[in-house]
Amino acid sequence: MHRFLRLSVLLMGLFSAVSSYATDAPQSAPMTPDSLGPLVEQPIEFPHNRHAKDMQIDCMYCHTYARRSAVAGIPPLRKCIGCHQSIETVRETPRIKKLFEYWEGSKDGKIAAKTPVPWKKVHDLPDFVRFNHERHIKRFIEQQNRPTQEACGYCHGDVKEMTVARRSKALSMGWCAGCHEKDHPVTAEGGTPIGNQAYWYSFQKPVANASGSAIKAKGPNDCWQCHK
Amino acid sequence: MSVSNLLENWSQFRHFHPVDDKPHDPYKWAMSIDLDACTGCNACSVACYAENNLPVVGKDKYAHGHSMHWMRIERYWDEDVGVAGGREFPDQGAQFLPMMCQQCEAAPCETVCPVAATNHTADGLNSQIYNRCIGSRYCSANCPFKVRYFNWYDYPTTDNVWPAEMSQQLNPDVTVRGKGVMEKCTFCVQRISAAKVAAKGEGRIVHDGEIQTACQQVCPTSAISFGNLVDPESRVHKQWKAQQVELDKEAQAKDKHGEEGGSSGLRGYRILEELRPYPSVMYLERVRESAV
Repeated sequence: MHRFLRLSVLLMGLFSAVSSYATDAPQSAPMTPDSLGPLVEQPIEFPHNRHAKDMQIDCMYCHTYARRSAVAGIPPLRKCIGCHQSIETVRETPRIKKLFEYWEGSKDGKIAAKTPVPWKKVHDLPDFVRFNHERHIKRFIEQQNRPTQEACGYCHGDVKEMTVARRSKALSMGWCAGCHEKDHPVTAEGGTPIGNQAYWYSFQKPVANASGSAIKAKGPNDCWQCHK
Repeated sequence: MSVSNLLENWSQFRHFHPVDDKPHDPYKWAMSIDLDACTGCNACSVACYAENNLPVVGKDKYAHGHSMHWMRIERYWDEDVGVAGGREFPDQGAQFLPMMCQQCEAAPCETVCPVAATNHTADGLNSQIYNRCIGSRYCSANCPFKVRYFNWYDYPTTDNVWPAEMSQQLNPDVTVRGKGVMEKCTFCVQRISAAKVAAKGEGRIVHDGEIQTACQQVCPTSAISFGNLVDPESRVHKQWKAQQVELDKEAQAKDKHGEEGGSSGLRGYRILEELRPYPSVMYLERVRESAV
């Protein structure tokens, strides 16, 4: 009987120790239902569907920097107001009223005039990853002439069907390699046809297959291409 | 790079590679440091701290050998001038040598990493992948130059390393390393890749002088040059050629002429060449008064 009691006391102690440790651990942010990323609460529920689908606005009208820098950027408040001050039809809707609070300052004085909207990052890569929007835009939109929404959608999903953008791709290294290990057309010298540069996508010199047409080049095989 | 490719071609990643079927093309990053111009001012070291988010560990941790200076100035004293005066540290005859990762072509650190966190890039750099590193510290033990530094603490959360307001001065292009990760000089790879992206967009290769490493940028006497060794027009290539230093040799022309390069006037050498790591950094020997 005593032994039985001792065991139960031990188990109780163990249980309480584990549970107190678990409560001390930092609570991770709630995830999206498909566990692809944290559930981000934006200050204003931005309707991507209204802008990108109904109004057919190009992604890069607002995310201007995508074509010329590593980051796509979020538009400054000035850009939102630039259009919306002359769109009278939606001026009195709740979300636009909220937007103008950031521009003109709120009545209760909590938000000063011209405060940038504190948007939160949805597609937040780890710090040790270097991703360049410009390269991808150059390749898909400028060189291959694909529609912007299709090219952006490779990584960002079908944003035009969303309100607040949600992560819909894994954005993991294996997922990147999924595209980057597909056959790239490369010249026999190992250069890509783009810009006629002698550049190896791969550490290994690309080799032609039996038919001599498609030359396999694996993804950027130098870790420092993407890691920093 | 996928893991499968890494494992399949493991020997290739360790390959000493300016060989016929795998030449450095179009880049091989290299450096040359003129010790005659170096005044030991430490500006390079400070610039490296700022550029690469290095934690300032403080006096106590420094004394334990936990310093994180990727670029350090080594001091050597000319014994016969200095100690004769009876001082602990002679005030004359100091010689300085900036020491950082030599980006060896046959790097001893690469062969021993159990998880391939450090390996060779196609443009001749010795890469260190922080998120792959498990902190075995084997690479550091095997490095003959002792230029690898280990994160013994989680520096971002350590007191007084980066106080709250200083987090804004961190370079966003460089990872802030966590605890248990090895790190070392990268030849400012963030600047290299930015220049490569810019060049690629314009369909050309990177020009000489387009990339400056942080240490090179601040050096008041321009002792440090950095560039593409493959490009015959680059400053580094010309310096290496003038000194008859060759990347894939373990003994250079200067050595044949004995101490001080004899009458040949050659000053170029690489450190610990006899171990055959084939470093990418050439030092130009100081012109001493005794040799003039």
